[in-house]
Amino acid sequence: MKQQVTISLYWKCQLIGWSVAALYWGYTGYNQPGFNWGLSILQFTTDVAVYITITHLYHRFAVKLGWQNLGLNKLLPRLVPAVVLLGLVYLFVTVSKVYLFRVWFKPGFSEAFGDFFDFYRDSIFVAGVRLMSIWLLAYHMYHYSKREISIARENARLAVITRDAQLNSLSAQLNPHFLFNSLNNIKALVIDDPKSARRAIDLLADLLRNSLYSGDKQMISIKEELELVKDYLELEKLRLEERLQYHIEAGDEYHSMLIPRLCIQTLVENAIKHGISQQKQGGLIRVQLINDHDNLIVSVSNPGRLNPTDDSSGLGLKNLTERLRLQYKDFAHFTISETNGIVTATIKIPVS
Amino acid sequence: MKKIMVLIVDDERAARNEIRRLLANYPDFEIAGEAANADDALKIINDQIPDLLFLDIQMPEKSGFDLLESLEKAPPVIFTTAYDQYAVKAFEVSALDYLVKPIRDERFEKAIAQSRQRLGKTDPAGQIFVKDRQQYHFIQWSSVHLIESMDNYARIFLGDKTVFLKSSLNQLEDKLTSNIFFRINRAQIVNRQYIQTITTVDGRLKITLSTGAQLEVSERQSGKFRQWIASK
Repeated sequence: MKQQVTISLYWKCQLIGWSVAALYWGYTGYNQPGFNWGLSILQFTTDVAVYITITHLYHRFAVKLGWQNLGLNKLLPRLVPAVVLLGLVYLFVTVSKVYLFRVWFKPGFSEAFGDFFDFYRDSIFVAGVRLMSIWLLAYHMYHYSKREISIARENARLAVITRDAQLNSLSAQLNPHFLFNSLNNIKALVIDDPKSARRAIDLLADLLRNSLYSGDKQMISIKEELELVKDYLELEKLRLEERLQYHIEAGDEYHSMLIPRLCIQTLVENAIKHGISQQKQGGLIRVQLINDHDNLIVSVSNPGRLNPTDDSSGLGLKNLTERLRLQYKDFAHFTISETNGIVTATIKIPVS
Repeated sequence: MKKIMVLIVDDERAARNEIRRLLANYPDFEIAGEAANADDALKIINDQIPDLLFLDIQMPEKSGFDLLESLEKAPPVIFTTAYDQYAVKAFEVSALDYLVKPIRDERFEKAIAQSRQRLGKTDPAGQIFVKDRQQYHFIQWSSVHLIESMDNYARIFLGDKTVFLKSSLNQLEDKLTSNIFFRINRAQIVNRQYIQTITTVDGRLKITLSTGAQLEVSERQSGKFRQWIASK
């Protein structure tokens, strides 16, 4: 079987770039008297090999120090000495090579290396600095643009995810089922308990307002989030009546701390949908905020069973996990577990 | 005139009150009871045999579908749900009607009109709710020509289809209308309307159904069978 050999863009550029440069030098030689094909081919191959080696060593060095990921202001002060150093390397290697070629192939050549070097030093050093500048510029420009593109792509991905999360939170709160159940409940309350009906309309209005108008706000204070959760629970309590009990334990110390919007609400909604409303007798939803070694732990528990095969709860929680990851990298955690018929969902967020 | 007895099943009190209020405008409908979950509803259905069910689909522990599946004889049903009606129809349930909550007065009136019309004409043998290849169906018992026992299941033959039901023949025999269905042997119940010929071969009764199926009546049941066939 024939194996497909692929050459990376880096190597393609290296080979093509240096070949073009070496061809140019060969062409200037071709126009001068005493041109020799054999020698020119040797010059060509050694030029390409030597300069690729030098620049490749730089590449290894830059990769090792992570220079490709540096910003422009950090990269520039490093590039100046790099260009000088590379220019010097270029100078020594080039002069040595040319000198050796003269010694080996030019009959009657007997100049001392010191003199030879002094004679060519300035012009070759300048040529070296120029070439290496071009190379470094191309090299870092490429990585810079590549990084920019990947950042742009990542940003676009984030935008899509957050928008999805917004849409999801919108449809989670305005979950049609929730919305229509609430409306139906309010319709009944208008006759059965007008005072509660009025309260329910206020609560629903605030929840709707929150969903519709704060879509682009990713982080909100715990205080705001808890108010939203309280509204949500109060409205659901009007519908589920004695089947829903709830208890919120949260000290004031975190009230101003910012958390991803709707992260507690998602857990509470989940607890009602898969916990309370699946139980004939209903039960207690307990929301707890605790401080634990520079971490904020939010836990929401409800009676019920954890059903790993039920993937209808998957989307909201998956979205929450993704949002936590985006916001806190690997420093935030989400877990859900069941003990003795109580399901507890927990998120752990670092207190910055 | 005999009133139409209605059972309201919904886990939310407010939602049950709503149906109550809507029904109050129709004096020919009477509320036989209400239930907040499938288990309570099952008791009432077995007790009072309502003529019509207003049934919520999403309920704790057992859904409205679960409830219907557990009945050997399902009353006519109007589903009520807060979900989109198309989402409900995706279940392919052939119910009397679907109402989405909140229910508009004029929409409810339509459902009532439809109930009046259809309830008068429903099959006295009743219907059963079964799940067949992920789809729910109501099956009219009168269209069933034969029921066979298979381990813990009953195999129901209708047309060229067969449907399995998790129920014993004894259970079914008790529930089915006796002037239409008859247990001819330990393993088979037959529908009178599909019997084409009855012959006696070597003192044993043999039945041919209009579908072509050949059946045999057990010796134990032969006497009763003759009486049943003659009774009409």
